[in-house]
Amino acid sequence: MSVLLQQLANGVIQGALIALIALGYTMVYGIIQLINFAHGEVFMVASYGGLATFTLLPDDLKKSPAVALPLMFVGGIVVAVLVAVIMERFAYRPLRNAPRLAPLITALGVSVFLQEAVRVWYPNATSNLPYPKVFPEGSLSLGSVNIAWTGVLLVGLSVGLSVILQTYINKSRMGRAMRATAQDPDTAKLMGVNPDRVIVLTFIFGAVLAGVAGVMFGGYLNNINIDMGFQNGIFAFTAAVLGGVGSIRGAVIGAFIIGLIKTLAGQYMPGGTQYDYVWIFVVLILVLVFRPQGLFGEPERVRA
Amino acid sequence: MSTSTVSTPDTTTPVEKRSALAPLGKPFAAAGGVLGIVAALLPWVTFTLNDGNWPDKSTLQFFDAPFAVTGFRWHVLLLGVLILVAAFAPTPSKGRVVRALGWGLTLVSFVNAAYITVKGGGLGAITALDGVTAFGSIVGLVAGVLAILAGYGIGIEPVGEWKFKVSTPVAYLVLLVSFAAVLYAVAAMLTTGGVGTSNPYSGAIFLSFLGFAAGVLGALSGVGFIRWLSALSEQHRVFSVIVLAACALLLPFTDAGNEYWMTVAANIGIYAATAIGLNIVVGLAGLLDLGYVAFMGIGALVAANFSGAATAHFGITLPFPVAAVAAAIVAGIFGAIVGSPTLRVRGDYLAIVTLAFGEIFTRSAQNNIGGITNGSNAIPGIPPLSLFGNEFNKSITLGAVKLPAGVLYYILIVLLVAATMAVFANLKFSRIGRAWIAIREDEDAARAMGIRTGKMKILAFLIGATLAGLAGAVFAHKNGTVSYESFKFLESVTLLAAVILGGMGSIPGAVLGAALLFVLPEKLRDFEDYRLMIFGLALILIMRFRPVGLIPDAHRRAEMIERADENAEEAHVEAKKA
Repeated sequence: MSVLLQQLANGVIQGALIALIALGYTMVYGIIQLINFAHGEVFMVASYGGLATFTLLPDDLKKSPAVALPLMFVGGIVVAVLVAVIMERFAYRPLRNAPRLAPLITALGVSVFLQEAVRVWYPNATSNLPYPKVFPEGSLSLGSVNIAWTGVLLVGLSVGLSVILQTYINKSRMGRAMRATAQDPDTAKLMGVNPDRVIVLTFIFGAVLAGVAGVMFGGYLNNINIDMGFQNGIFAFTAAVLGGVGSIRGAVIGAFIIGLIKTLAGQYMPGGTQYDYVWIFVVLILVLVFRPQGLFGEPERVRA
Repeated sequence: MSTSTVSTPDTTTPVEKRSALAPLGKPFAAAGGVLGIVAALLPWVTFTLNDGNWPDKSTLQFFDAPFAVTGFRWHVLLLGVLILVAAFAPTPSKGRVVRALGWGLTLVSFVNAAYITVKGGGLGAITALDGVTAFGSIVGLVAGVLAILAGYGIGIEPVGEWKFKVSTPVAYLVLLVSFAAVLYAVAAMLTTGGVGTSNPYSGAIFLSFLGFAAGVLGALSGVGFIRWLSALSEQHRVFSVIVLAACALLLPFTDAGNEYWMTVAANIGIYAATAIGLNIVVGLAGLLDLGYVAFMGIGALVAANFSGAATAHFGITLPFPVAAVAAAIVAGIFGAIVGSPTLRVRGDYLAIVTLAFGEIFTRSAQNNIGGITNGSNAIPGIPPLSLFGNEFNKSITLGAVKLPAGVLYYILIVLLVAATMAVFANLKFSRIGRAWIAIREDEDAARAMGIRTGKMKILAFLIGATLAGLAGAVFAHKNGTVSYESFKFLESVTLLAAVILGGMGSIPGAVLGAALLFVLPEKLRDFEDYRLMIFGLALILIMRFRPVGLIPDAHRRAEMIERADENAEEAHVEAKKA
């Protein structure tokens, strides 16, 4: 029983991490119907950005978590946003009217490029890099279940940020412009919405969330490597599809489901943790085949 | 999605440039051409570099014969002359040709200048230093840029269309000569800069050659020759495949006929055959497959397990032909299974489903599922093929000629590629192929026309996977080891890139794409660290500037660049009015 509870808690934490990344996928797909394969790498780059910020800090600041931690978040987010804006401007925007295959392949290219750029240019990036210990240590004990404080922080940030994002998109003027562009870009343009600005903003929001996720990933697991982007990106994409691409709430709920599947399948299914990855893909395939619109998505419109 | 979300600024820029540059077209071309020739006759380096003399006696110290141009200086000279000829002879779509040649000249100059600068320790290596001058690369760069601008000045017209028909013997002769030229180009590409690391400048020499080849190819394509040739070869496709195969079989007798290049060429061939299989799925049927290399992996695993290797799971040893057929069948069955979601899933989502299947394969193989993959220990010691007592990895003597080791594998693989090509070509022009193309263009319309779309899509996956399985079986014996490491996501992306780089739906394209993508890493050992980064960047740039690929399929081309051509045409008409 305590094993189950512990795994449930781990699953929720995994889900919180995946949710932060999945929101970036779902928003971009909702607006320009692009599977931004490189989004997982934005998350990875942000993690290295946070680490680099810490490394560059003067020694006395490194010792005070109250200063270092926020600065690392800022560093990670800035790097993520820069990368996302550059890739939108130079890789995706020229292909706005291209055949659908072109941007997807470009995204694969961006993904390979980012991963390699970090591997080649970040010092010692070929091996796992330890993350600094500026995060709250210890864990919260609830009966027999232990939850690391970083995990609690991760869940809090994830839920809080997605609520803020959802409110912003539903209530603000810019959020309305985003929803309008997602529904019908041409009409939105006629109504005075600048689609370029909306799209860049979407990429920025996704990058900010990925930035937070990147730094928290390092804090929770204590070390990072360049493969983290691809793998977590795939999980996040699965979550976005499971929840219904384009739906904020769906992405978050999908992410928690994926997190739970991963930990529970790793514990209880044959093959254990070696195959937890496989179960996620099985779920992905089943969802796409039997409910391609996901749990909360609209049925797919036939595209011209 | 709509087609008119945002007006693209790119289509208007060349037009604006033209209006300013129009009167300068010819003078710029003349200047570019002459400067190109001058650059070829100038020295390029002021002192001997750290790794020794820069090739072709372009170092000031060794620059004794300005008119004995070889290597890249010969390329520069040739490009300069071609620019002059193209600009002042009645050339179809002159602007395009001059622009392409200009790009070639720029690339060659840039590669050499950049490399000299990096290796020679600063700009001093290419500019004036201690009273001596070596302006070659700067003059070359200026010439290239001038020629590009001249191209825009003259005007970028649509690619020329050659309407004239030729009789069959003449067509055969043209094809024969062209393919022989292709063979020569391939042999030259393989051997430029020497084998492996024998020459410290091999990477740079190769890149420079690539720039030259790109310029000439662009010019040929601009003048309309490539389009004409590809139409011709499609018309006589049986003859083409036979001649191509014959040309390929002659490769061991050229400069590239040594063990190293036979091995590399054989590996390229395996991936080319796989890429052609993928071209059926992606190019013809329009179904994006991101986990395709898994079928090759399945084929390789089946062949490995029946090969009699020490760690094979089954105690049975099958003769290679039987094992190969088994591998193809098993891969085909998996292809049909992976393809079955196509009944319900479309577009990007399908790509993700195939990605998921690919990842499931990798992960299961890594964990030694059912004991048949041997996990990360791989299956080593697969015996090489042999025929009449000749082991395929040994060298053979044919009459008086001693052929290098690995030549038998090379021949087997050339035959495999030829067979795959024949299958592809015949399918493409059959009822099935037309059905696939119809599905690719518009699935709903195809269904309305009475095509059983579901059946057809699964068939595409099945045939593609079968070909990959066959290639995988050869791969297992050729390399002697089968590990899941060879069949990961990145390999799928590379194969897809080969198909797209070459041109979707086009047969020579897939071979060219595979050749480029698998030769480049061999040639760029100097840049080992940056190899994948360059690959990612190349994917982005290709999609940005030439999404139709190097040798586009006639039909595909019409669909993808029609709009750009129309824009260019309109602009041209307007320019004439003004």
